[in-house]
Amino acid sequence: MNKVSVIGAGNVGATAVYYIAEKNIADIVMVDVVEGLPQSKALDFLHAAPLRQYNVNIQGTNNYADIAGSDVVVHTAGIPRKPGMDRMDLLKTNVQIAKEAGQAIETYAPDAVVIVVANPLDVIAMTMLRETGFALKRVVGMAGILDSTRFRYFIAEKLNVLPSDVFAMVLGGHGDTMVPLPRYTSVGGFPLTELLSAEEIEQLVNRTRKGGGEIVGYLKKGSAFYAPGASVAKMVEAVVKDEKRIAAASAYLRGQYGHSDIFLGVPVLLGKNGVERILEVELSEDEQKALDESAAHVKEGVTTLESIYSPR
Amino acid sequence: MANIGIIGSGNVGANTAFFIAEHNVAHVVLYDIQEGLSTGKALDMMEAAPVRGYDVRIQGSDRLDHVLANDIVIVTAGSVRAPGMKREDLYSENAKVIRSIAESMRGSTAKVIMVSEPVDMLTALFVQESGMDRRQVMGLGGVLDSTRLCYLIAEELGVTAENVQATVIGRHSDAMIPLARYSTVSGVPVEQLIDAQRLQELFDETRNSGNLIVDMAQRASSYYGPSAAATELAQAVNMNTGRIFSVSMMLRGELGVDGAAMSLPAVIGRNGIEQVMVPKLTDEQYSMFNSSAEELKAVMASAGGKK
Repeated sequence: MNKVSVIGAGNVGATAVYYIAEKNIADIVMVDVVEGLPQSKALDFLHAAPLRQYNVNIQGTNNYADIAGSDVVVHTAGIPRKPGMDRMDLLKTNVQIAKEAGQAIETYAPDAVVIVVANPLDVIAMTMLRETGFALKRVVGMAGILDSTRFRYFIAEKLNVLPSDVFAMVLGGHGDTMVPLPRYTSVGGFPLTELLSAEEIEQLVNRTRKGGGEIVGYLKKGSAFYAPGASVAKMVEAVVKDEKRIAAASAYLRGQYGHSDIFLGVPVLLGKNGVERILEVELSEDEQKALDESAAHVKEGVTTLESIYSPR
Repeated sequence: MANIGIIGSGNVGANTAFFIAEHNVAHVVLYDIQEGLSTGKALDMMEAAPVRGYDVRIQGSDRLDHVLANDIVIVTAGSVRAPGMKREDLYSENAKVIRSIAESMRGSTAKVIMVSEPVDMLTALFVQESGMDRRQVMGLGGVLDSTRLCYLIAEELGVTAENVQATVIGRHSDAMIPLARYSTVSGVPVEQLIDAQRLQELFDETRNSGNLIVDMAQRASSYYGPSAAATELAQAVNMNTGRIFSVSMMLRGELGVDGAAMSLPAVIGRNGIEQVMVPKLTDEQYSMFNSSAEELKAVMASAGGKK
């Protein structure tokens, strides 16, 4: 049985564990700094196992050493975004948490693929890459798959079709500067642009852009975790099962799409080695421009990171 | 929970019941003209139920009326192809069986999934003879061809088939029309990822893959693919999912065709065909689609109204 460790036993981490267990994907270790929290959630999951018929083991721990031998480590730990709070406000605290986790991963799970979920995503992924010293392909951020699943749902709702029949590509940084690509969005193979007017598409794009915020607005306290948890589980499954799945994810770029030395949302091929390939699709001038803006935004974050961060 | 009737308990019929049970889609009544066959297969499946955790009931019956009185009726009855046979060679023989089923179902509100071959002709015949709304009758044509193309594209690119959407329309025969423009990989048009010549080879392979299975298996037509597709269609109707499938349907003016059945993509829900999605074709594809329709009509007319 494969082994997946999830750092951070909050809502996103625990919901990812739920989906991973329900599909019997791998044994799971939940790690959190809060004493009793990961243990309680792991035990609660195991109590449901006879009814839900999953046969994976789930362990809760406060000790990083228990992630030893993991095939995949998911990093969700960080303080959550509050309503109205900018992602960059989270930076200092979450960078510190990522540093500790990255060092632990390097020590105990040196062969793992790391899926970064904590925000600000593209900057935390950079921190993780530096702290683990892993090959570039073994650190990947979860963002585009979540943005695209939201876009897919909004399209399906509008057209009254099955959500999984809608394919969509969303590039760029995770946040207001994401770049949804309607041209690379299809419904049962039909280009979206044949099914909806430019205006209708623009409305759905805008809703997608603010998708996370819409949930935060309803919840008042806390942010989305079902769709993020499902997105994490999908990426974990792609790696554990070596699926060779194309998905939008935050990957470290070296010249692709004209950008270097940043994590940015692009289409990648996910398999057992992590990001096995970065796909370069043709972009129009406008699309490239939007991606450049998104990259500039991420670069600002990295510059801020440099000011507060010194690698080991 | 809905009830599904399956006419014919051969490889396709029984495997469809099996897939339906494994996915807990609905209760099933199996029928076959050979007495006892459906009861035997149903019993065999139900004896596996405790181990496999089925919530559904599979039963066999030797009475056709038991099968027709269901929410969804899957028609697999009739002869299958032997190696070297074309699908249309089966028409006059299978038409007799389908005509009598259609006559017994006049006025029915059931949704009918036609699997028997030649599927396009039998779908048209069924609509004509039953007088049912054309949206209630869906033939397994393009969905199979699309699935095969989808598999080949995924293999070619080394990606999971779940990433691929492929569209094949027209006749369920060598005259099928694969549509590159309506085939995507994770939303990206397949033409951007596979060069034109290689794509054409994959299209040819798709065209030939039904025949390939008949040849390799000797005597048995393919049945896992058709059974899986029939199950997915039944699920889409039963759960009203709005899933998109390329199904054979009686055409009433779509792409210039009237009175013949061929495959076009459609949104499938509780009423059967909820919405037809008409692709934009090149002139060549359009004329191929229309000449296929004329051929289908001609074969059906020459077989006549013999009962």
